[in-house]
Amino acid sequence: MTDATIEKPRSELGIILTGVARNPLGLMGLIIVGAIVFSAIFAAWIVPYDPIAMNIQDRMQGPSASHWLGTDQLGRDTLSRVIMGGQVALKVALPAVFGAMVIGLTLGMIAGYGPKWLDNMLMLLFDTIRSFPTVMFALAVVALVGPSLQTVVFVVMATSIPTYGRVARTQTLTLRNSEFILAERSMGASMARILGVHMLPNIIGVLAVLAAMDIPTVIALEAGLSFLGLGVKPPTPSWGALLKDGYALIRQTPWLVVGGGLPIIIATLGFTFLGESLRDVVDPKLRKNR
Amino acid sequence: MKIEWMKAPTGRRSFLKGATALGAAAAMPMGWAGHAFAQDAGTLRVRAYGDAPNMDPAHSVGVVEEEIHASIYNKLIQYKPGSEWGWQLDAAAMIEQVDPTHVKFALRDDIGFTNGHGAMTAEDVKFSFERIVADATESPNKPDMGPLSHVEVTGEREGTIVLNEPFAPLWSIALPYITGNIVSKAAVEAAGGRIGSDPVAESGPYLRASWSPKEKTVLQRNPDWKGDAPAWDTIEIYPIDDENTAEIAFEAGELDLTRVSLGSVARYRDGVPNGGTLVENPSLFYVWLGMNLDHPKLQNKKLRQAIQHAIDVPTILEASYFGAAEPSTGIIAPGLAGNRAQGMVAPQANIEKAMALLAESGETNVTLSLDILNKTTYTTMAQVIQAMLAQIGITLEINVLESGAFWASGDNEDLQLVLNRFSMAPDPSYATAWFTTEQAGIWNWERFRNEEFDQLHAAASAETDTAKRAEMYQRAQDLMEESGAYRFITHEATPVVHSSRVVPALRPDGLSLLRYFGKA
Amino acid sequence: MLSFALRRFALAALILLVAVTLMFLMIRAVPGDPVQIMLGPRATPELQARLTAELALDQPIWRQLVIFYGNMLQGDLGTDVFSGRSVTQIVFQQLPFTLELIFASIIWSAALGILLGAYAAAHPNTVIDRTVAVLSVSFVAAPAFVVALLSLLLFAVHLQWFPAIGVGDGFWDRLDHLVLPAFAIGLSWVGYIARLVRASMLEVLGENHIRTARAFGLAERRIVMVYALRIAILPVVTVIGVGMGFLLSAAVFAEIVFARPGLGKLVIDSITTRNYPIVMGSVLISTGLFVVSTALADLINAWLDPRARTST
Repeated sequence: MTDATIEKPRSELGIILTGVARNPLGLMGLIIVGAIVFSAIFAAWIVPYDPIAMNIQDRMQGPSASHWLGTDQLGRDTLSRVIMGGQVALKVALPAVFGAMVIGLTLGMIAGYGPKWLDNMLMLLFDTIRSFPTVMFALAVVALVGPSLQTVVFVVMATSIPTYGRVARTQTLTLRNSEFILAERSMGASMARILGVHMLPNIIGVLAVLAAMDIPTVIALEAGLSFLGLGVKPPTPSWGALLKDGYALIRQTPWLVVGGGLPIIIATLGFTFLGESLRDVVDPKLRKNR
Repeated sequence: MKIEWMKAPTGRRSFLKGATALGAAAAMPMGWAGHAFAQDAGTLRVRAYGDAPNMDPAHSVGVVEEEIHASIYNKLIQYKPGSEWGWQLDAAAMIEQVDPTHVKFALRDDIGFTNGHGAMTAEDVKFSFERIVADATESPNKPDMGPLSHVEVTGEREGTIVLNEPFAPLWSIALPYITGNIVSKAAVEAAGGRIGSDPVAESGPYLRASWSPKEKTVLQRNPDWKGDAPAWDTIEIYPIDDENTAEIAFEAGELDLTRVSLGSVARYRDGVPNGGTLVENPSLFYVWLGMNLDHPKLQNKKLRQAIQHAIDVPTILEASYFGAAEPSTGIIAPGLAGNRAQGMVAPQANIEKAMALLAESGETNVTLSLDILNKTTYTTMAQVIQAMLAQIGITLEINVLESGAFWASGDNEDLQLVLNRFSMAPDPSYATAWFTTEQAGIWNWERFRNEEFDQLHAAASAETDTAKRAEMYQRAQDLMEESGAYRFITHEATPVVHSSRVVPALRPDGLSLLRYFGKA
Repeated sequence: MLSFALRRFALAALILLVAVTLMFLMIRAVPGDPVQIMLGPRATPELQARLTAELALDQPIWRQLVIFYGNMLQGDLGTDVFSGRSVTQIVFQQLPFTLELIFASIIWSAALGILLGAYAAAHPNTVIDRTVAVLSVSFVAAPAFVVALLSLLLFAVHLQWFPAIGVGDGFWDRLDHLVLPAFAIGLSWVGYIARLVRASMLEVLGENHIRTARAFGLAERRIVMVYALRIAILPVVTVIGVGMGFLLSAAVFAEIVFARPGLGKLVIDSITTRNYPIVMGSVLISTGLFVVSTALADLINAWLDPRARTST
């Protein structure tokens, strides 16, 4: 579950979860995300059919008792591909968001705590990355190294680092002049100790919430790249690839677009609801900033 | 001369039963005057799959620009619309082949260029044709004019085309296609020898009224045109590269004619929305699976043959084209000289034979990569091939490339297998040209090198005996297939849908001849 | 304030420089030869050689970069060697299509978003407020290209209420053609802006002068609509600046799905054909747009809130 990203003791986690579950939207988000994570982990056991097994005679069928979401142009079961696609979506989203968070956190803390010139350089880097329209950047990178799961993870990660970096920097700047940090410093604590032991716990909560809210963006981005034909390699099922095929065949069968589009929307809703209520519980102050 | 289709295409015109009701229901929403009816009665709206920035025939890069050039310029002869290849007179009042290297012509006396550049004369013909072959022009279309020596002007409107050697494609390509367009000598010279995105001087039944890049090109009736008046006042050409988008636009009533994807043929056979019609034409394009003969992993001929036999073409066609295309036997389509009635490897897979060949090859644990373009047709095809090769124990990894990287595969030495599709003009020499030794590593991605093939390609275009010429091209394709580097898949097809307002004029391969379009 | 503005624009120029250089290096590292792709298989070696020289592709990368910047400083983005037209002209021909799409999206999403947000803030913790909250989260969650696909199918193909493709001629026709694409890429902004306005409204409504106004017995409606809203929509202005970049990315999808000309389409087409001068020209303009609009947003922010001037 996503709470794995929050490094907090069990009891605190319990409090947070209870807080989230008390909010009806939070509960809904928790259920949706739980279902997605569960089906992604156990995808191989719960898919009704082999998601890459072809059966051309039975292609492009509408929903039926044997194929709940119909079949695609190669007669593959859409529901099975949607379930496996969830796994791909998480395989992209989790490492990308985690990586972006770790790198963004590190760079952001260095920017906030380090010398001014380093701060300026890092901010310049963040702003530069942000200034590329994502699709343009993705096109260039994909053309450069070829499309694959790793490429998508890289593109998504690279484009979201600045968000985390900026937040981490702002938090660090606020904290660096706080009394307890000044006290630590006067006692001769090393920079690493100050950043790692004292600042990190105060920043990570905020970033973790940000990460939970960022996952849907990342899922949509992966789908968008696959839609442009820049995503994961076939025959790996991904929601975006389903949409791409579905768009090409949209008037033959609308079910591929439905099969690819609905999970994206539902997953996005689930993660957003969860993220929002998580934020309300962890840090109510953040509310006005988003 | 006429190039005949051996298998006459059945121009299927589907009638609409259920679809009429459906179309009518869709067109009448809530009293809103549907956009389908917001059209001008004199305006024809067609789709091209690309933009046409260049108005110079010498630098034309293909059919998209040619569709416009053919409307605003004149040629001595034009293709005839219909299901059989043939030509008709255009600017020429008379044209005849006096011997294998001399063609006499006389121009009509009522064709003039716009912008005050005067009547069309034999000097303009001489200038236009010789310009194509002149080195200074750097025309990529030079090979189309083949062994043109010069044009002799014998009168104000009379002349003789002189060839260095006999040239069979003169009547099928050189005169009625891109290089046949006649431009105004005075206007082009005044423009410094090169036409850019402005046509400088036009003479055809239409004039290019405007061009909005990537949005549309507008053609308007030429008031000074003295030939048969075209049926439409205005033609709007919309560049839409994606067939699916074009189909949506057609169904929304915003286009009168578009090529559609093969995947949609089955659906349109059951009925075309808004009372439209589906026309199924064969196509000359050729699609094949190539294997790079220079790649260390593909040195074993038995392995390549095992791959040839493991691939079931009918299944591929069913999956990616929904059965709307036929298997091919090579690179030369039915209807052109040199088409093979049968290939050496049957379209159907022979798994046992493939297994036996693989066993004989001694290769085990074979893992190969297949490069494809990022279109649904190819990803579908590649996944079917992947499943087929898995049956004989070959693991295939699919590399999906965007078009820029894909078309740069010529110098990619790591290329292993590739799904490729080339476009084609109605002459067999157009196809063999890309598989010569000279082209290895440029457009011959298989790096197929065969001396006999090269000789056949060179000799066949000078051969005027059609039967002999056909034999040479057939032999050339045998050589390709024998190398084990090719698995021929299909020539596709050109399905076109048009609205009930239009009587389209199409070449046998389904491309539009806009100046001959009629009104229903 | 002036020195802040100067510093901010110097930073903007620097960002642009780094971004364009990075893109230049990246796109050159990508395999693919523009001459081969654009001229097709039949180009003569002489023509290929000449165009390669014209594009300066035979020069070392750093020299190409110097040439590019040299020309750029003279206001010349180069010539598209394949059509002979100037890149500036090509890019500026496509720009209005994208700008009108972005502005249309901003206008309708801001209008509806502010309305929803203000209404929700005026009725906190009621059913309306919750409905708006759920709606806005759902809107934010809808990926632009999925909305584009579905609305195209429903409104253009099945119902035929709006045109499916192109940009149209004349004011009303153009507007008609804008409806669906602007709907698709603006939808998530409705949710975003609604939430932003609701939050800042609530804050403003709790502030002193509003309480004073209430104490003076001014009508609640007047307080909400005139005093609070005026202050509460200010953050929206700054957010729109940042939104430019996101909308540019979203516009790419809208332009593909609705077959519209525009900057996004131009970028994709030129990257896939490796038409370097056009890639660089359009990257320059689109990152320029983004950088300038974020700088403006920062300036407005600083003007409204002096504390912001010290950071950055």
